[in-house]
Amino acid sequence: MDDSQARKFQKDLNAGLVALVLLAVLDRSPEDLYGYEIAKRLQRVNQGEALFKEGTIYPVLRTLAAGGLLTSRVVPSYSGPPRRYYRITDEGRSLLAQWSGIWRQTRDFVDRFIEGTDS
Amino acid sequence: MSAHAARSIDDYLRQLRTALEGQDPALIQDALYDAEEYLRAEVAAHPEKSEADVLELIASTYGVPEEVAAAYRDTEAKVKAALKTPVPAAAAGASGWKRFFGVYLDPRAYTSVFYMLLALATGILYFTIVVTGLSLSFGFAILIIGIPFFLAFIGITRVIALGEGRLLEAVTGERMPRRPVHPGPPAGWLKRIGEMLTDVRTWTTLLYMLLMLPLGIVYFTLTVTGLAIGLAFTAAPFLVLARWLGWDADATVFSDDVHIGGFALSEHSMISALILGILGVLIVTLLMHAARGIGRGHAHLAKALLVVPGA
Repeated sequence: MDDSQARKFQKDLNAGLVALVLLAVLDRSPEDLYGYEIAKRLQRVNQGEALFKEGTIYPVLRTLAAGGLLTSRVVPSYSGPPRRYYRITDEGRSLLAQWSGIWRQTRDFVDRFIEGTDS
Repeated sequence: MSAHAARSIDDYLRQLRTALEGQDPALIQDALYDAEEYLRAEVAAHPEKSEADVLELIASTYGVPEEVAAAYRDTEAKVKAALKTPVPAAAAGASGWKRFFGVYLDPRAYTSVFYMLLALATGILYFTIVVTGLSLSFGFAILIIGIPFFLAFIGITRVIALGEGRLLEAVTGERMPRRPVHPGPPAGWLKRIGEMLTDVRTWTTLLYMLLMLPLGIVYFTLTVTGLAIGLAFTAAPFLVLARWLGWDADATVFSDDVHIGGFALSEHSMISALILGILGVLIVTLLMHAARGIGRGHAHLAKALLVVPGA
């Protein structure tokens, strides 16, 4: 119905989830990834309407790195500015495990009401 | 939605810059850097399409400039709140004495003192690099190596500017860029040189590096003089006390009588030594305040000269 309300709801949901997804992507990846690569991986999975704009993951990556959850290194590139490659740290892994637990719990809780399996 | 969709990378970056108007210049530089990394990678990934065609799809993938700007604003606000060094309780209290001596609890005062001592070394280094680089650039200008030399020289000054910014952020907490300014798409050497010569920041960076020598001398002298006098005065009452307790300074450590504040140690009464001691504590405390203030002022100067103004 109201498109702007739907967008606002999505944005509120994304506030914490983007960080969780980024940690998970980097945890799964055997090699270091840079911003553009991560964005493309998310886009591939997320066919159709994007859940969040790729431009919004860069500031989150930076925040995670500043918090010690990711490490990064800069590698020169021919196609543009030097790329910053990210890798998850041990601290990031343990946080990811914790957050994943919280996410599953939240999802099951919400589903129980939405699917009506509780009543 | 923006007035019109961006048709080129430069166009997009301009719109993003407009959307970030009024934000910290360092944040703007970072946001533009990230966007440029993405956009250039995206264009490079689609060699069969024109830049304009790729840019057409950007709004639905990377996001329109306003969206991206909002993401940086939100994240920055959250991070800033989380990382902000809590103001020492003494500084918040109203008492003048507490506020005066509260400076000893502020880590920035110590880091600023450290920066002022370091400034002489970095000042000499920067000054030498600029003078050598400029004169060799002029000298080489008639030779074939003149152009690459000049490019390398300006490149080095940019790296130094970034490093100096990181150092100052660590010392004073003033937000400085975390990424270098990207020079733009690969272009001919002559075009690059033209861009460098017309870029105001090239010249303000050189000016800053030249300024660092006189500033470094002043900072260093002020700090060393203040610390030496202040600490010597502070030590006076302890030395007199030690002498009373039978420590023979002349015979053990010093070849001559110890002189503090123009008097020989043997002529000091405990009263005069105590007055000197109090004076010494005041001098050191004032120095800490001065260092904190100078550090803050210097960070603003550096920001004005080293960071692209957000316009």
